[in-house]
Amino acid sequence: MTMTMEPTTTLQHRWRGTTFANQVRILAGRSLRALVSDPKLMIFSVLQPLIMLLLFSQVFNGIAGTSSFPPGVTYIDYLMPAILVTTGVGAALQSGIGLVTDMKNGVLGRLRSLPINPSSVLVARSVADLVRTAVQLVILLIAAVVLFGFSPAGGVFGVLPAFLLALAVSWSLSWVFLAIGAWLRNAETMQTVGFLAMFPLMFASSAFVPVDGLPTWLRVIATINPLTYAVDASRHLALAMPVGSGVVGALLASAGLLAVGLVAAVRGFRRPLAV
Amino acid sequence: MNDPMIEVDGVGKTYDDVTALDDVSLSVPRGTVLGLLGHNGAGKTTLVNVLTTMLPPTTGSARVAGFDVVRDAHEVRSRIGLTGQFAAIDEGLSGADNLILIARLLGASRREAKARAAELLDLFDLSAAANRLARTYSGGMRRRLDLAASLVGRPDVIFLDEPTTGLDPVSRIGLWEVVENLVGDGTTVLLTTQYLDEADRLADAITVLADGRVVAAGTAAELKAQVGRRAVHVTLAAATDAPAAMTSLERAGLQPVHDAPHNAVSTPVHASADLAVVVRALDDAGVEVAELALTEPSLDDVYLALAKQKIAA
Repeated sequence: MTMTMEPTTTLQHRWRGTTFANQVRILAGRSLRALVSDPKLMIFSVLQPLIMLLLFSQVFNGIAGTSSFPPGVTYIDYLMPAILVTTGVGAALQSGIGLVTDMKNGVLGRLRSLPINPSSVLVARSVADLVRTAVQLVILLIAAVVLFGFSPAGGVFGVLPAFLLALAVSWSLSWVFLAIGAWLRNAETMQTVGFLAMFPLMFASSAFVPVDGLPTWLRVIATINPLTYAVDASRHLALAMPVGSGVVGALLASAGLLAVGLVAAVRGFRRPLAV
Repeated sequence: MNDPMIEVDGVGKTYDDVTALDDVSLSVPRGTVLGLLGHNGAGKTTLVNVLTTMLPPTTGSARVAGFDVVRDAHEVRSRIGLTGQFAAIDEGLSGADNLILIARLLGASRREAKARAAELLDLFDLSAAANRLARTYSGGMRRRLDLAASLVGRPDVIFLDEPTTGLDPVSRIGLWEVVENLVGDGTTVLLTTQYLDEADRLADAITVLADGRVVAAGTAAELKAQVGRRAVHVTLAAATDAPAAMTSLERAGLQPVHDAPHNAVSTPVHASADLAVVVRALDDAGVEVAELALTEPSLDDVYLALAKQKIAA
């Protein structure tokens, strides 16, 4: 260690903190920088939905053309809008897990000893994860078009709103998972609970097969499963089917989740770290 | 000096049914070091958490740099630096980016932040590793980066929570020197430690915590006077020499104690010069010495002495 003390610089005035918007921008930039400097993470996060796309498109291909399936639609065109939504939901869970990990490794302890608004940490993570999810979904869409021949009837103007809807659902759910993370503060529990909840939600929904083709008991679950509505809305947009009130319903539900999640996350996060 | 930078007034902290802090009061004048001494679980970290606004006290109040830690938490946070027991650095960022991030959050411009980071990396001998990810740093480097991170905002008050735990001896001395330099520049430091020698070396005043209560306070010299002093331990070459050793030391005006199981004799001494007295007395008596050691009182001795005083009182 160097023994001489720092020279008395001309910048002796005290830095007194910065605006909330700046805090969010700086912290989100920090998270996104890791995305660029460590692209491995991004590749892995895209790999999983790509594998799902590959497996499901092969396994369930035969379902296209059956009576419960929308006529004239290929399975990949049916599947891809759902994969957008389920990938977004998975990303939302990762957001919550990321927050808990940061809490554990001490970085958040340091940030909390600084004169910044604790909520800026949450907002920054959520914004950075939104950008990350958007990039992830775009890569997936490109792969789906190039590798699997995804070409839904809605074209770009159908896929774009489907993509935005998936992002909106993901963002609102990320606040729910941030809230759970801020209260639970245990990454392993979150991971377990998250995946235990995710799988039934994904399969007991309209994501992979039409609800009408499911056994009765599953159909009941799928009908009350909120994911079904998000998936249906995304699919109807992409396939240029009549959307009805589905999109508005999905957006309203997302807005509701967002509001509840936001309040709960901020409250949970304000609790002392050191207990 | 008559302007305290840390004032703690009857602070208590209870969780459910556990009392972590009980009526703790202390005061640290500007530009001095307070050593907060105590074993694990004595309440040191809890007090640091209260003073750094991380944890609200259950009772009492505390002011840091003149601001209340509960009401004016934001003001307090813009004047303090904190280095905890575990390095709080972002492993996914380089050393330089870690420091730049904090400077930017404190309100520095990009240019100022870069300059400050470079200055601190240089101070802590991390310039060569500035652009490496912190994930690749060794334990000692992490500690240094962590300490550098707590200094970015040129804080008035620095909290060091067991800063040398797990450090090798060279890094430990290096960190002590950094602390001494900071204090030389007028920074006030609260340092928690389990090591009496560390508090002795750095602290102007020492407060001893046990079970969340202040059990002693004063300068290192005052505490040592309470504890009893240094002692010389003599391991004898032959057990048969014990009576001769005891007699010769008593004649030299010391109060030796015979430690038969270890075949040793030990005696409290007042000054280093007494070491020579011990050696001469034993030599004159023809006692052969296998090993001779001068021991400093430890934190355990402090606790033991305080416990004895309490029983006596």
